[in-house]
Amino acid sequence: MNPIHRRDFIKLFAAATSSAALSLPTLARAGSAKARVVVIGGGYAGATAAKYVKLLDPSIDVTLIEPNKTYTSCPLSNEVVAGHRKIETLQVGYDGLRKRGVNVVHDLVTGVDRDKKVVATKGGKKLQYDALVMSPGIDFTYQGIEGYNESMINDIPHAWKAGEQTLLLQKQLMAMKDGGVFVIVVPKGPFRCPPGPYERASLVANYFQHHGMKKSKVIIMDANDSHSKKGLFNQAWAKLYGWEKEGLNTNGMIEWVKGAEGGNVTKLDAKSKTVSSDFVDVKADVLNIIPTHKAGRIAAASDLVGTGGNNFEKGWCKVEPMTMASALDPSIYVVGDACVAGEMPLYGNPNAAFDMPKSAHIGMAQAKVAAGAIVAKVNGLPVPDPIYANTCYSIVGDDYGFSVAHLYRVVNGTFKYIPEGSGVSPMTMPDKSPVPPIYRKLEAEYADGWLRNVLADAFA
Amino acid sequence: MRLHCIALIATGVLTTLPASAADVETIARSCNNCHGTGGVSVGHSMPSIAGLSESYLKNIMMQWKSGERASANMTRLIKGYTDEEIAGLARHFSQQKWTPAVQQVSADVLKKGKAVTDACETCHGATGGQPDDADTPMLAGQWAKYMELELMKYRDENFKMTHKKMIKNARKLEAGDVEIAAQYYGAQSK
Repeated sequence: MNPIHRRDFIKLFAAATSSAALSLPTLARAGSAKARVVVIGGGYAGATAAKYVKLLDPSIDVTLIEPNKTYTSCPLSNEVVAGHRKIETLQVGYDGLRKRGVNVVHDLVTGVDRDKKVVATKGGKKLQYDALVMSPGIDFTYQGIEGYNESMINDIPHAWKAGEQTLLLQKQLMAMKDGGVFVIVVPKGPFRCPPGPYERASLVANYFQHHGMKKSKVIIMDANDSHSKKGLFNQAWAKLYGWEKEGLNTNGMIEWVKGAEGGNVTKLDAKSKTVSSDFVDVKADVLNIIPTHKAGRIAAASDLVGTGGNNFEKGWCKVEPMTMASALDPSIYVVGDACVAGEMPLYGNPNAAFDMPKSAHIGMAQAKVAAGAIVAKVNGLPVPDPIYANTCYSIVGDDYGFSVAHLYRVVNGTFKYIPEGSGVSPMTMPDKSPVPPIYRKLEAEYADGWLRNVLADAFA
Repeated sequence: MRLHCIALIATGVLTTLPASAADVETIARSCNNCHGTGGVSVGHSMPSIAGLSESYLKNIMMQWKSGERASANMTRLIKGYTDEEIAGLARHFSQQKWTPAVQQVSADVLKKGKAVTDACETCHGATGGQPDDADTPMLAGQWAKYMELELMKYRDENFKMTHKKMIKNARKLEAGDVEIAAQYYGAQSK
């Protein structure tokens, strides 16, 4: 991989030769100009930003601050819940980044002084930055459900940040008896991993099948009226799990209740694990409440989040499409789940509704764009034209997977969704015949290859 | 970085570089997510693309784009890229070093693998490492799992593949030999 872009060198070289004051040694000095980049958060996006800044310009000092010594991938963690995968296959440390010259500090950021460009940590460190990458992921509000609060998450796991929570939910599933009810409560969007709740429902039903629990049910209480890859999920559920139609009290193993028809949970009786909406009460044996999301704490504490507006504005970080720099601070780049991006009204496209999903894959794409922009800025080069690609696999049964792809470019300074390079796996073949099983098998296999490569591309 | 720059000037390549060279490197970084940093995959079901021939890479991407050849996912992604970008990506990844994945197999698999891949040698070379022409992909040290899945595609009449000779030969393999053939070539990490 070539550090710095060739074309930019051409431009720089052209500029250099046009001035007698600049010569090759000057050019080399310009390239080795020291700059300090600090990255907050060592998830997929933060790790990728740190690695790619170093790859593109090794002379830049890069420090990554992350409290945990081991990262656990959220993607494919539903396979751990259902017992298909060991959690160790989702885990990675930070030695790969250290080997690349990234200074990894296990500490918690307590504050960012944006005027002085200093990051302060719980351990007493004060780190000066020229560019800051803000990648704190998500936090939960725990609001909107009366009777529910953070203290309950050991009994009512969210399993929406992978690790201990994933194993807690797995343990509860494995203790279930036939005839038991597994309830997933889905918050109003945006939330990370848009197809995640439905993938989880599929794999829990798959677990029931493999363990002779034919009378058990998964009920999805959804605050939303539609969801990611809905057609593909419904088709798979019909084929694999006896799905008939939307709503409660259907014959299939999976029941999906949309917000408008009683899915919007507003109350919890924790003792009996009963959730209620305006229409119904549903009693669970295993209760999985996914809390409402907001950008990670430090993003809000640094005044980088929207304070009003709709669900996509309030609590999330708006960014500049060309660079991923915060709309509120040109020295801070917000990547990963904490930002809101894509072709949508927030970015001046009144009729568009193609927000970028909160996925590991697009978080890494954002991080690479930010890394390219930072390195260009440090070296006084033009910002490269960005591209944002997403791929997201869902595993819904044995040898049964499918995906969605998204592609975005930046046109006239604003995000543009590219439908030609986007879309979900086919529901039917072009002649309307059913999709041959090989397609679903291939995507189930690709999901594992994807996981290993994204983990390595970010952390190794 | 300095060396790179000087090398470009010294060899006079600078003026003949295509104007889109920089953009291709930006786009190529987005391929890394699935195909590995620099196109060297560590995921068993995903192919390494660094060091495959330019002609092979360009052809396969253009076939996916036109719909001539099926793929479970690349047919969707690739339609968002211009022909020029595809050509640039093919050139970019072909210029990277082929990095075989180290995969060990038993002596038995090697022996059986050699026997069942006779027909493959004609085009892919003795150990899958000396392809006949630029349109034939390198197999030696490619991920075995990926090659097994590719063979599965060639063998499935419901999956639209393009190369008649390859389709014919893949379907001649005994079902039990598919995995062995893939493992045999995967283990040839020269």
